[in-house]
Amino acid sequence: MSTALEEMHNIAPHIRVGRARAGVLMLILSDSLSVVAILAAGGYLSALNTENQYRLAADHAPTFLPGLLVSLGLLLSGLTYYWWEQRVRKSTDAKGSGQPIIFVISLLLMLAALIGQSWVGATLGYAAPFHAYASLILLLTWFSVVHLLLAVIVGILLWGRIVRGRLAGHGYIVEVTGYWWYYTVIASVLMWLFSVLIR
Amino acid sequence: MIETRRRTKLIQALFPSIVSGVLLGVIGAIIAGVVVTHFASPDNLDAPVVAAYTGWVLFFFIGIGAFNGVWDWGFARQEPTPAEELQLAGKDQGLWRYFRYTTDHKVVGMQYLVTVLLFFLLGSIGAFMLRLEQSSPGAIFFNPATYNTIVGMHGILMIAASILMVSGPFGNFVLPIMIGARDMAFPRLNALSYWLIFAIIPIFFSTLALGGFPTGWTGYAPLSVQELTPGMDAYCFTLIIFAISTTVAALNIVTTVLVLRTKGMTWGRLPVFVWGVVLSVVLGLTAFPSFLISQVMVLTDRVFQTSFFIAANGGSNWLYEHLFWFMGHPEVYVIALPAMAVAVEVSAVFSRKTVFGHRMLLGSLITICILSVLVWGHHLYTSGSATSLDGPYMLDTELISIPTGFFFLALIGTLWRGKIWITVPLLFVGGMLINFVIGGITGIYLADLPTDEILHGGMFVTAHFHFTLVGSMVFGFFAGFYFWFPKMLGRRLNPMLGTLHFWLFEVGFLGTFLALFYAGLQGEPRWSANVAPEFATANLIASLFAILIAASVFILVYNVVISVRSGEVAAANEWGGKTLEWTVPTPVPLENFEHLPEIKSTPYDYGVSLPPVEGAAGVGLEPALHTQPETLHSQPES
Repeated sequence: MSTALEEMHNIAPHIRVGRARAGVLMLILSDSLSVVAILAAGGYLSALNTENQYRLAADHAPTFLPGLLVSLGLLLSGLTYYWWEQRVRKSTDAKGSGQPIIFVISLLLMLAALIGQSWVGATLGYAAPFHAYASLILLLTWFSVVHLLLAVIVGILLWGRIVRGRLAGHGYIVEVTGYWWYYTVIASVLMWLFSVLIR
Repeated sequence: MIETRRRTKLIQALFPSIVSGVLLGVIGAIIAGVVVTHFASPDNLDAPVVAAYTGWVLFFFIGIGAFNGVWDWGFARQEPTPAEELQLAGKDQGLWRYFRYTTDHKVVGMQYLVTVLLFFLLGSIGAFMLRLEQSSPGAIFFNPATYNTIVGMHGILMIAASILMVSGPFGNFVLPIMIGARDMAFPRLNALSYWLIFAIIPIFFSTLALGGFPTGWTGYAPLSVQELTPGMDAYCFTLIIFAISTTVAALNIVTTVLVLRTKGMTWGRLPVFVWGVVLSVVLGLTAFPSFLISQVMVLTDRVFQTSFFIAANGGSNWLYEHLFWFMGHPEVYVIALPAMAVAVEVSAVFSRKTVFGHRMLLGSLITICILSVLVWGHHLYTSGSATSLDGPYMLDTELISIPTGFFFLALIGTLWRGKIWITVPLLFVGGMLINFVIGGITGIYLADLPTDEILHGGMFVTAHFHFTLVGSMVFGFFAGFYFWFPKMLGRRLNPMLGTLHFWLFEVGFLGTFLALFYAGLQGEPRWSANVAPEFATANLIASLFAILIAASVFILVYNVVISVRSGEVAAANEWGGKTLEWTVPTPVPLENFEHLPEIKSTPYDYGVSLPPVEGAAGVGLEPALHTQPETLHSQPES
């Protein structure tokens, strides 16, 4: 086997880092545009209020407190992740995983937010066929659930790497996972704020 | 002992592969469909269908091994070894590597090429059925519902194929080599993007068993929501997965170009083709999310009784039109930009000249890319929505003709006074130039609100967008196809058959769609299964010329089959090109380059004349040129 062939997947560390950053940032760009599309659709339908049927009197806004708790949980998850990321950066241990317990807390908070958001979605209490406002709130809620689910899956995979001791020399993974983690938090909180504020 | 070893080898070859993927996918679809049927209300036919589609996609990917890499990323004890990576890249697996989750960019490129050609073939069959039906007044073969489904299937197949046709095959096979990389940035995502396309093929065609869809390729709501047969679900689900696939492919291509360019490959030295593909996928990355959301909304309207598009419940059809056309118009440029870039690439090689106005050309492509996301409202001129933005939309749309004009200038300037070597790829560039002028100029009439009020909804529009998408962009694809076929398959296509393919296609195309322009100007509406007597002559002429297009397809298929089976072996540098793909051997080795090249000049320095050698592959004036390392724009790394 030629050396070139053997080394064809051997990518220089700085390229590996650039690749991961670029890939995740573009994924965020694309996903954020789908969030914008939903928010724009909501604003558009609200402004049109077709045949005054956009929102029925019975279509109440989502209950404030559960949504607030989910958002607070998410913000805490984001903050603990950031804390862990800083620890990893400063870490000198061979495993390169900082204090994994902090990450576990962050992951558990994300999981709690996922469960909370699913509960919010399941108990919205609108009656089918859903009018435009209720449709929008349902879509925002469950779209947020999908985001949180993805973050939890990514978190579990990252936890696997920590357990296997495979973060050493791969600090950039913590950094780029952080991009997605923070984005999930921001997108979910934005969608919640939108669902609270839209009339 | 030998028997056991053979059995083990067979099991290793089949699992994971397309066989295990399909097997598990079918089981997953059945289980999901049955479970949801059990829980859903009996009159909700859409829920089990969508569940079955979801089960199919999920389990197909488990079966083909797409999640193995994800699992290993998190839970394997060590990083994959070079041997494991090479195994995944299809090393020593022969033809079977094309039926596995293979990560090699060349394999993925070939998979895309075959799929695109298959889509084109099936879409062409649909087109021919339509022309048969419209060849004389009254219903001949199909009832209106069947006719509408064929129109929709033809449209969406052709649009999907056109979106993939350049960035898929050539963007995967050629682009990484052109920038001096050994593979794409994310090889596993590369395989994912292709297999997502594969996974939606049975979903799309299942619409035929589920009642079809009457909406045409645009899938307009509220018709798509009101439609009772679950055939519409196939349309929506297909497009959702398609959008995810293009997003994955786009981020992979952009990342590859951002981080894997070889030493010295500055942005200024990047081949125009790479620019075209990158701009196209960036546009797709920006425009496709709204489209994906529009289809998610249609599905939730159909399955969960939401009302995004039902006016009686506060929804709006205009919402669909905005979300759809925010993708729908840029999508034209997602198709156009790489095809235009192919035309420039081919012109430079066959005129033996540097690209005329290189920076002006890149500027025009970037400008087209930016303007194209600002023009979607012109599709809503006659929809009855608010008119206050019609003026700006008209201006934006017409502005695009300026950078497009610069593209023409660059292309003609490149050919001007060049040492023209008339080959099949260059013939297709010539055809593209003619057709694009007609498609572009007729587009200006449709961009103009007063004339659009008259022409909208008529055959004029049909003829216009066929001139743009087929006459211009598909011709661009065929220029690339004949240009890179020898590199991709290691065989020469027969140039005489290629020439015949071109002339039949061009004459047939002009005859068909000029006749439809005439029918449109006479007032023939689109979306009519039966031709009215006053439009019969124009439609008969169009149908007769369509026979030439059909003949050209047969010539192409015959040419590809005989060339692959017994064509002449292609040279490494078949056309004397200077971009990096012509510096590597044919067939291209798995690692692409023995040593990564270093770039020291632009890829279009054709100032040095090369000696002619044996093995002409063109049809005209100059023989093929083998690689002369000292004249290439790259030098091996010392």
